[in-house]
Amino acid sequence: MRLLGLQLQDFRNLSQVQLLPSPHATIAVGQNGQGKTNLLEALYFLATLKPLRAGRLSELVKWGASNARVTGRFLLKGAEREISVEVGGGTRQAFVDGKKAASLEDYFGGVSVVAFTPDDLEVIKGGPDARRSFLDRAVFNRFPAFLRESREYARALKNRNRLLREGAAVEPAYLEAYDETLAKAGARLYARRRALMAELAPRAQATFASIGRTVDPAVYGYHPAHLSGDFSQADEAALAGALREALTARLRRDLDRGFTSVGPHADDVTVTLGGRSARAYASQGQQRALVLGWKIAEIENLEGAMGFLPLLLLDDVSSELDPERNAYLMNYLAKSGAQVFLTTTDASLVHAAAAQDTLWLSVSTGQVREGLPDVPA
Amino acid sequence: MTPDPLNRLVAQLAKLPGIGEKTAQRLAFHILRAPGEFAVDLSQAIREVKEKVHLCTRCFSLTDSELCGFCRDSRREERALCVVETFADLMALERTREFKGRYHVLHGVLSPLEGVGPEQLRIKELLERLNDSRVEEIILATNPDVEGEATALYLTRLLKPMGLRLTRIAQGLPMGGDLEFADQATLAKALSARRDL
Ligand SMILES: Nc1ncnc2c1ncn2[C@@H]1O[C@H](COP(=O)(O)OP(=O)(O)OP(=O)(O)O)[C@@H](O)[C@H]1O
Ligand SMILES: [Mg+2]
Ligand SMILES: [Zn+2]
Repeated sequence: MRLLGLQLQDFRNLSQVQLLPSPHATIAVGQNGQGKTNLLEALYFLATLKPLRAGRLSELVKWGASNARVTGRFLLKGAEREISVEVGGGTRQAFVDGKKAASLEDYFGGVSVVAFTPDDLEVIKGGPDARRSFLDRAVFNRFPAFLRESREYARALKNRNRLLREGAAVEPAYLEAYDETLAKAGARLYARRRALMAELAPRAQATFASIGRTVDPAVYGYHPAHLSGDFSQADEAALAGALREALTARLRRDLDRGFTSVGPHADDVTVTLGGRSARAYASQGQQRALVLGWKIAEIENLEGAMGFLPLLLLDDVSSELDPERNAYLMNYLAKSGAQVFLTTTDASLVHAAAAQDTLWLSVSTGQVREGLPDVPA
Repeated sequence: MTPDPLNRLVAQLAKLPGIGEKTAQRLAFHILRAPGEFAVDLSQAIREVKEKVHLCTRCFSLTDSELCGFCRDSRREERALCVVETFADLMALERTREFKGRYHVLHGVLSPLEGVGPEQLRIKELLERLNDSRVEEIILATNPDVEGEATALYLTRLLKPMGLRLTRIAQGLPMGGDLEFADQATLAKALSARRDL
């Protein structure tokens, strides 16, 4: 898969952008607040239909404009396809080769991106929510059906929580019906996350070891909370059964609090270093290396599964890494042959990822021009 | 200035689902200009649908007499009963001409989020109806989404103890070689529910 051309119109502070990305590295350089992240976000949005930063769709439209549009020409499995997405009036519409795409799923057929932002680097010591959505982004990249499956789960969960809030008045059979619906949908999510982790964890561990400087082995794991039985072996029906049991066991508490306290929405990813919790004990540098190990593993894993590398978006990551780990990452990017989009305030940090065919862009007050900025930042 | 009666018609039409102000105007002009008795026939049809069509007292589908055509038709199998969410679903099943049993229309699904519980659906009536009937199999044909599943599971809990045969319509791929167009979650489900040949 390759992005051949990119066009933006009124996306955040970028009024009009047209560029022909390099088959390898495209590097956007600029001072703070100029629109570098916006450029990456446009690309991320095009590929996933989700904003890169949390928030509402309307935030993506340039102030004063009514619509934003992002269009990409991709080389997908030997054919050129034009994919575009338009945002306006709080909704979005995707187009493939100029025709409205009927569902999100049709649309995700081929394009795949992995984004890496400074927020990701905080994920080890952050809260479980951040780690869970970090995990789920990887699951979604690997298994596109996961998007719809997790929406179904979320809907079942909301319904059940509403029933819990109605409390004792609810007929037991009614609540049980939703318990079972939730358990089935939840078992699917468990199985998806487990399948991803089975592929990813060993790769991430190996990558972390090769980044070096820490002799302790890293272990990445996903173990649903409050679930009895052998999680690693159980089939989906057994997982649904185990979740039902847990729901029943915690019903009292859940009725009191008015929400469901067990299930995929309450799980966490555990990362340990030398057997100890990385969240509690790993140093700054180690935490970042742990994320780096994961991200590179995710890229390689996707390549293994899809037969091609995903598009990589790295937002200002280099300034957050120490020189040695940054060098590792830049080397990896240069060697991988992946198509990469990087942003930085300081071009010297990413030089190692650049080559002859690198497209340098300078971003200033929403204008994107080819070439390095005249005065190095 | 458009005349008030025309404005009133436009306003009424624009309340219909899927009809915007522009379309409502077009329809209103069409009605106004249509020849002969069209407008009279239309208004009569609208009045009659309201006056004469009501729910069948047995299966809660639509009818203009006490019992609907499905309930009255003695050629239909009394041993199989198909439970559907809406009259539209019933019509869809009827179009297949495969099912020769009777129906029961719930008029919705269990949805705590929408404030629809068992009392809002025709579930009590279903149970009453089964008391002295010759039904041997109940086919749960609610939709395969979250609420439809939960409703089928709820009904299963109520009906299982009655010792009837309970079945759920299968879900999976649409026919006609549309593998290519099926969404990924449906395909994934179909794949995991594959069977030996
Ligand atoms: N909808 C919008 N319309 C117009 N401008 C916007 C919109 N959304 C964000 N901006 C502006 O875009 C500017 C650039 O944002 P961006 O995050 O891309 O900067 P950046 O170049 O990545 O900077 P940094 O190096 O600090 O990360 C911000 O000043 C912000 O106010
Ligand atoms: Mg930025
Ligand atoms: Zn009837």
